[in-house]
Amino acid sequence: MRPTDFFRTLIAFIILVMLHYTLRPLLGWRAGPDFLVIATLLVAIRVRPGAAALMGLCVGLVSDSVDVHVFGAGALAMSAIAFTASWLKAVFFADDVLLNALFFFLGKWAFDVIFVLAGHRGDAGQVAIQIFVWSPLTAAVTALFGLVTLLILRPVLRASPS
Amino acid sequence: MPPVARAYSRRDTILFVSCLVAAFAAIQLPDRIRDPLASALRQTILAPLVSLQSGAEQSRRSWLTRELREAQRDSIALRAMSLDASLADNDRLRKLLGLGEALRWGFVPAEVLQGRGVGEEYTVVLSAGSKAGILPFSPVVAPEGLVGMVKSVDPTMSIAIAWAHPDFRVSAMAVDGGAFGIVGAHLGNEPERYLLEMRGVPMRSNLKPGALIVSSGLGGTFPRGIPVGTVIAEVKTSELWARTYLLRPAVAPADVSDVMVLLPARTTAGVQTVWKTGLHSDSAVKSIVAAGDSLARLAAKRDSASAPRDTAAKRDSTAVTAPPVVPSPQHEARPAKAPPRPRSPTTTTP
Repeated sequence: MRPTDFFRTLIAFIILVMLHYTLRPLLGWRAGPDFLVIATLLVAIRVRPGAAALMGLCVGLVSDSVDVHVFGAGALAMSAIAFTASWLKAVFFADDVLLNALFFFLGKWAFDVIFVLAGHRGDAGQVAIQIFVWSPLTAAVTALFGLVTLLILRPVLRASPS
Repeated sequence: MPPVARAYSRRDTILFVSCLVAAFAAIQLPDRIRDPLASALRQTILAPLVSLQSGAEQSRRSWLTRELREAQRDSIALRAMSLDASLADNDRLRKLLGLGEALRWGFVPAEVLQGRGVGEEYTVVLSAGSKAGILPFSPVVAPEGLVGMVKSVDPTMSIAIAWAHPDFRVSAMAVDGGAFGIVGAHLGNEPERYLLEMRGVPMRSNLKPGALIVSSGLGGTFPRGIPVGTVIAEVKTSELWARTYLLRPAVAPADVSDVMVLLPARTTAGVQTVWKTGLHSDSAVKSIVAAGDSLARLAAKRDSASAPRDTAAKRDSTAVTAPPVVPSPQHEARPAKAPPRPRSPTTTTP
């Protein structure tokens, strides 16, 4: 990645992290958008899978430290989806809006599934409701916000001509 | 479009596995290590994010609190509005209690029932009837004055006509007794419809605006001294031998919710001391004036009766103390000796 692209991606990443800790609490939705997942996926497709996994681990640890959840579950989920996203980046992230939305949706849902299962929180019924009701809903909202973010940050995220 | 995918190497796999191991290790960390670690992260490198998050949450909470406060303020305003009505009710009931205390006996308290029918704007339904001793033609009064008269009576309720009814009449007088007349509804147009008229006032009686008109007690239906209204102005009519005055009623029937119905015995006994109309003080003033006049008359009579006796007694006393003067012809011819004249200033100067 060129330094220019790196800084652009870094700016987009910082903006999304800021949004996660400002806009999300402000909205206060039960199924709110997860800007950390969007940020991680956006960065992951631009770096190698190993770096993406490392970045996902860091972002997950940040998320686990700030939010009162099971420490490490977020790190595990985030590094898994980051690695997978980076590995599959040739498949996804064509210039197709629906495909990008599906990418965000699946990334967020996978994150939630890993997070809930790794955290072992609640009984089986609650876990099932979380995975099959709330997580798809949150993933859909995240996909929607991801698309809007992509449209807004398109000038920043566009790769410089080689 | 993102850059083209690079080759997937073993290093990436090792890094990924390492991350997974690290994440599992973090999950398995005991609380005594995990909590201080998370706390240290929050207080150092994550402090700006924590600050951002708490600021956003506070903003949201203040937004929600604002709505809650607005709702609370609205509720308080609503309660304050009903409080005013309650205070007015309290005031009215207190007045009614005062009226009951002043009447002491011979009355039935009744509630004015709402929901009067169309065309019956001038009648009121009372919540007490013949079981409570109410009879037709019983006066209906409020703390402010006369409301009307019972027209028909059922066992548990009665119907009364208010003063605004076209058939309502009450013999009334000025509070000083200077003018008498018949008070009835003023059958004018809508704004003036809720005023009263005092008709048949003799031409010699001139009432000033603001003069209080009370029931005169003539006719026997209404006892003397119940306030009926106050004079607004004289109404010009074609009658040449009597005056007509427009009155502002003492009671607005629309505002009446509780009333007292006077029983026949109380009507007969009178209510002159109940309403402080000045009727009593006026009669007291008249009595005092009359008493003063009678005293003066008595004194004058006594003076006139004792005057000849005094002159006779004086004459007798002078006859005893002074010797009788015998007038001499000299005395009569010469004038009385003049007193010595003071010296003039010219004579006193050396």
